[in-house]
Amino acid sequence: MAADEDPDPGPLVRMFAVTGGRARAVGEAFDVIAVVTTIGMPYDQAGLSPEHLAALRVATRPTTVADIGTRLRLPLNITRVLLSDLRREGLVSIEAPAATAGVLNERIYQEVLNGLRAL
Amino acid sequence: MDYARSDPDTLAIKILIAGGFGVGKTTLVSAVSEIQPLSTEELLSDRGARIDDTSGVEGKTTTTVALDFGRITLREGLWIYLFGTPGQDRFWFMWDELAIGALGAVVLADTRRLGDAFPAVDFFEQRRIPYMVAVNQFDGARRHDPAVVRRALAVPGHVPLMVCDARDRESAKEVLLTLVRHAREMSAVRA
Repeated sequence: MAADEDPDPGPLVRMFAVTGGRARAVGEAFDVIAVVTTIGMPYDQAGLSPEHLAALRVATRPTTVADIGTRLRLPLNITRVLLSDLRREGLVSIEAPAATAGVLNERIYQEVLNGLRAL
Repeated sequence: MDYARSDPDTLAIKILIAGGFGVGKTTLVSAVSEIQPLSTEELLSDRGARIDDTSGVEGKTTTTVALDFGRITLREGLWIYLFGTPGQDRFWFMWDELAIGALGAVVLADTRRLGDAFPAVDFFEQRRIPYMVAVNQFDGARRHDPAVVRRALAVPGHVPLMVCDARDRESAKEVLLTLVRHAREMSAVRA
C-alpha cells in the first residue's frame, strides 16, 4: 500500500476531513476559472465546515475557483466539492468562464490586447 | 447555470502554457504574472472511479499533481489566468479538462529537444484550440531558423511561431499578445 509507505498522507487526510471522503462535486461541472460569488450567508452556520465558511468569505468579492483553492490551501478537487455544496445550498453563484459562455467577443479581445500592452 | 450573470463585465480568461518538461513554462508564467506562480494540487482519483458512478466507492485517490498558475489583472473583474500544463504524459486527461474554455495555448519549445513539443502541438491541433509556438531561446543555445523549426514540428503556416526569452517580461508579453491576436482571428474565421 502506497499510503503505508508515505509518511505524509496530507491531501488524502485533508480530503476526508473536509469533504467527508467525497471526491466529486455535486451538480453541473464547473471550470477551474469559473467565477464564484457569495450570494447569501446561511442563517444556521452549524451545518457548514470552517472551510465552507472560509470559501464564502473569500467569494464575497467575485473570485475564481483556482484562487479560492489557493486561499484555502486546498486541492482543486476538494475546493470544487465544497463550492458545489455551497451552490446546492444557494449560497454562491458559479459562472462559466468567458470562452465557454461564448462571450469572448471583439470588444473583449480588444480590451485584453489593450490591457496586455499597458502592462 | 441557475443564476443570472451578476456582472457581465466580470470575466476570467484562461491561457495554457504547454510544452515538454523543463522547457520554461513556469518561467514564462513568472515573467508576466502579478503573483508568484501558485501551485494548487489537483487530487487525482483513478480514471475508473470517475467513470463508474454507481459503485459508491469514491476517493480511489492515488496521487496528486501540481498545477501551476499565474494571474494578470487587466482591470477589476478582468483576469487572465496562465496555466502551466503538467508535463507528464499520464496527466493528459487533465489537459482535456483545462483546455475546455481556454482562449488559446502557447506551446513552448526548446530547440535542443524539439520532439518534446510534438504532443502539445498535436493536442491543440486535434482539438482546434488556437495555439502558437514560442521557441524559448536559452542562453548559449544555437539560434535556429524559425522556418526550420516550423517544418520540423509540422506547424501549419497560419499558426504563429516566434522566438522568445521566457525570463523576459516584455518578450513574454509579446508572446501573449501574439496568441490573443491569433485567437481573435481564428474566432473571426469561425464566426
